[in-house]
Amino acid sequence: MSPESLAETVLRLSTVSRSSPRDPNETTHWPEPDSLDRAQWFTSPELISVYGTPLWDSLDDHARRQLSFWEAVGFYSLNIHGEKLLIEGIARRLYQPGLEDVAEYLHHFLDEENQHSIWFATFCLRYGGKIYPDRKVAFPREHAPGEEDLLFFARVAVFEELVDRYNSAMGRDDRLAPVARRINANHHDEETRHLVFGRRLVEHLWRWHAPGWSDETVAGVRAHLAGYVMATWREYYNPDVYRDAGFPDPYATARQAWDHPATAAHRAALTARSLRWLYEAGILEAPVLS
Amino acid sequence: MTAGASAEAAAREALRGWVRERSAAAVPDDFDDHTPLIASGLVTSLQITDLLLVVEEMRSAPLDPASLRPGVFRDIDTIYATFLADRLGS
Ligand SMILES: [Fe+2]
Ligand SMILES: [Fe+2]
Repeated sequence: MSPESLAETVLRLSTVSRSSPRDPNETTHWPEPDSLDRAQWFTSPELISVYGTPLWDSLDDHARRQLSFWEAVGFYSLNIHGEKLLIEGIARRLYQPGLEDVAEYLHHFLDEENQHSIWFATFCLRYGGKIYPDRKVAFPREHAPGEEDLLFFARVAVFEELVDRYNSAMGRDDRLAPVARRINANHHDEETRHLVFGRRLVEHLWRWHAPGWSDETVAGVRAHLAGYVMATWREYYNPDVYRDAGFPDPYATARQAWDHPATAAHRAALTARSLRWLYEAGILEAPVLS
Repeated sequence: MTAGASAEAAAREALRGWVRERSAAAVPDDFDDHTPLIASGLVTSLQITDLLLVVEEMRSAPLDPASLRPGVFRDIDTIYATFLADRLGS
């Protein structure tokens, strides 16, 4: 059987997208804020940012569960900010010359990401009373032909691959409060299609554009993507989360958690599994360690 | 030296130290608080999250998200004036 073409992938994914439920209220029960039991787990303990560090060991069960709630608000907030950039970049590329074949799927992508942000924001605002602010700023710069598109879709793919590791684990974790498990499971269900699309499109753009780039541009793309992986992980260690969880020095906590060998090993293992396809496609040359 | 002035000097030195350690490009010999950070490639957009955490820790307070515009990262002098002068200045 010959491999599926990009156009065939787009057709297949679009068909599935059309038949999946759009309204989050169809699949998610949102308890009243007052009746949500805060003593539940909202993030799997092993995926809490400080897991494996001395701080984690010092927390009792109650404090760990409190932290798991604010970690969920942090994780959903970073999803919202990631999806905002994604929606903006995809909207800009609708019917762009060279991307006509994928335009139909880009519409589904946009629609689905908008919906995901509604789920995430509903949780954050309804139960946490806030969405944590973003700490990203983009500086405009010049790009080689096709470089900006490749970087955009590769960043999207990297972001979604890492998030999905968390979603797929937490969507199956019955320790979690049903609302948190449902949000993660819903997101994972839809992201499965985005991951397929992302890999196919990034490989396509790479084969199309990279042969025309200078060695310097290729090296710059690789350095950017490696830097992006690190920057993405950085946001998982959020002082705003630690402040709300009642830690006295949230910035020191963020630094110490990031620097601890246990969290570095967690990031390296997850990065290696999520991004192997980027090495296999020749887009990254050496494993990105976090 | 007043307490404010020494806090300012320490903050500027810490920012220069951060750039020297994290810079994405070679730091020039005459690097100072007016050296362009973005235009020179010393700092890229991907390092901003890390830089903001350093700045927030110096302030001991979060930043106003509305203040995060590309221009405020032009050089160390501007970063200091934008985010730190009101908290540490003499
Ligand atoms: Fe999403
Ligand atoms: Fe997605």
